[in-house]
Amino acid sequence: MQSIPCPHCGPRAHTEFAYGGDATVERPSDAKQVPLGEWLDHIYLRDNPRGPHTEWWHHVYGCRRWIKVYRDTLTHDVYASAPADGEIDPSARARAGNAP
Amino acid sequence: MKGLPAIPGAREALGTAQTRRAPEGGHIDRSRLMFFEFDGRHYAGHAGDTLASALLANGIRVFGRSFKYHRPRGVLGAYGEEPNALVTVGSGARHEPNLRATQVELYDGLVATSQHRWPSLEFDIGSLNDRIARVLPAGFYYKTFMWPGSWWMRYEHVIRRAAGLGHAPQQADPDRYVRRHAHCDVLVVGGGPAGLVAAARAAAAGARVMLVDERSELGGSLWDEPLQLDGTEGHLWARAQAEALRAEGVRVLTRACAFGYYDHNLVAIVERLTDHLAPATSPRPRQRLWWVRAAQVVLATGAIERPLVFSGNDCPGVMLASAARTYAHRYAVRSGQHAVLFTNNDEAYDTLAALRRAGTSVSMVVDARPGGPGSAAREAVEEAGCELAAGFAVTRTYGRKSLRAVQLMAFDNGRLSGAPRRLECDLLCLSGGFNPTVHLYSQSRGAIRYDQQLAAFVPGESRQAVQAVGACNGTAAMAELLAEAAN
Repeated sequence: MQSIPCPHCGPRAHTEFAYGGDATVERPSDAKQVPLGEWLDHIYLRDNPRGPHTEWWHHVYGCRRWIKVYRDTLTHDVYASAPADGEIDPSARARAGNAP
Repeated sequence: MKGLPAIPGAREALGTAQTRRAPEGGHIDRSRLMFFEFDGRHYAGHAGDTLASALLANGIRVFGRSFKYHRPRGVLGAYGEEPNALVTVGSGARHEPNLRATQVELYDGLVATSQHRWPSLEFDIGSLNDRIARVLPAGFYYKTFMWPGSWWMRYEHVIRRAAGLGHAPQQADPDRYVRRHAHCDVLVVGGGPAGLVAAARAAAAGARVMLVDERSELGGSLWDEPLQLDGTEGHLWARAQAEALRAEGVRVLTRACAFGYYDHNLVAIVERLTDHLAPATSPRPRQRLWWVRAAQVVLATGAIERPLVFSGNDCPGVMLASAARTYAHRYAVRSGQHAVLFTNNDEAYDTLAALRRAGTSVSMVVDARPGGPGSAAREAVEEAGCELAAGFAVTRTYGRKSLRAVQLMAFDNGRLSGAPRRLECDLLCLSGGFNPTVHLYSQSRGAIRYDQQLAAFVPGESRQAVQAVGACNGTAAMAELLAEAAN
């Protein structure tokens, strides 16, 4: 059971959260200006990276806020987390040791 | 106990019917006799026995039947490594199949039955499969039961009943099960000498420590050999250590098996609370599931002995040397009257003294190494007064429901030569070295690497905050083990 560090509540079991998908995807600002194909790609297509990945997690059984988590999808190491409007610092991965 | 004949002297008679119990020794409580049933017959044992040790003490050799060919099987090991003695314990809604008799703690009134045989363990119709084994090779079911296609469901009905081991209870489970979450700084898995020292060290450094062991008593291998630590007998030293740990606030759980290692140092443990007691109607929960999140995990899970391979190595009477020592020393049980030791390492020679103390005579030590053992082991052979055959290997056994004899041949670098020689014996002790118990370590995604010297896999690079100490890390010698654990 993974431990997700909520910036507001501290490290909690992943069962307190709902997974929210890729946090690096940018929603096109005006749907009407964008060609339909591009809009559908945005809605339905996602990369499936093997390695470090920034994700949305929703802390439904805690503060109920959305957070960003920088987590390795292969090893499950969590490098950093930030509030929804915050920024993830990718150098956190280099600073992290071999074991959490 | 219900069903026990109310004849005067019946209990005493059962007590003395333990023909394979050595008159002295053992860590059992001889003042407490316990009566139990196995396959409808009544037997006696003592507090501290397991079902396996009590049955062995009563001279029982066949404990079950093999899965496919229904070959008679006896006890190979003494603890969780036992592959053969799978029994069903209890009755009605509480009966539980596929328990290892070596892990079933004996209690007064225990009822157990053997599995996978009909109509009885002694006479099993299923052994016909062994007679026609030639036409039932591995994978035979890929070429059979195909024709006619419409008959498949008829075949399936018979196959369903023949396959599988044990019967699941049909009624609802009347017991209560509970869960608990816990956090700690250090979780030590395994309460043998290495685990006890590691826990003491961590507690002394001020950490919140939890220590779990799957057995009923802490001390691990200290119960199996005559070993002194700090001037006291090993198992008593372990008890004192456990008390000291509890006094320091360490959470110590026994009968608690850590069975799963998950992400971020979450370890799942099942604590058996009442399986060692007679079934009762009290509301006490039967088992407790622990989810423990530890900052650091120390694995002190020990090592399991390897058997050696030859034709008929599944005959009742063939046992691991460490198990023979455990039965002799811990349970005061003679696993046989006349033994042969087959080994490829020096450590197994401790078996000679242990067997002699229990009353078993050893006629021969068969050492697969052409150079034979070292000097300390050779002294043990002289003291035991038995022969040593270096550069020989056991090639087959004789006997079906009980070992009668073994066959030896000269063995050099994988090649057999010379005339076979037959040795009469009813106990064959095997030792192929030890395999570190790396299961939990592997579950933590830790890499394992092959150690040429030990001829075994040992923990390699770890991927979580976990550390292996003691025999599970390849360090078996007590002095080094204690030093390693203290770090």
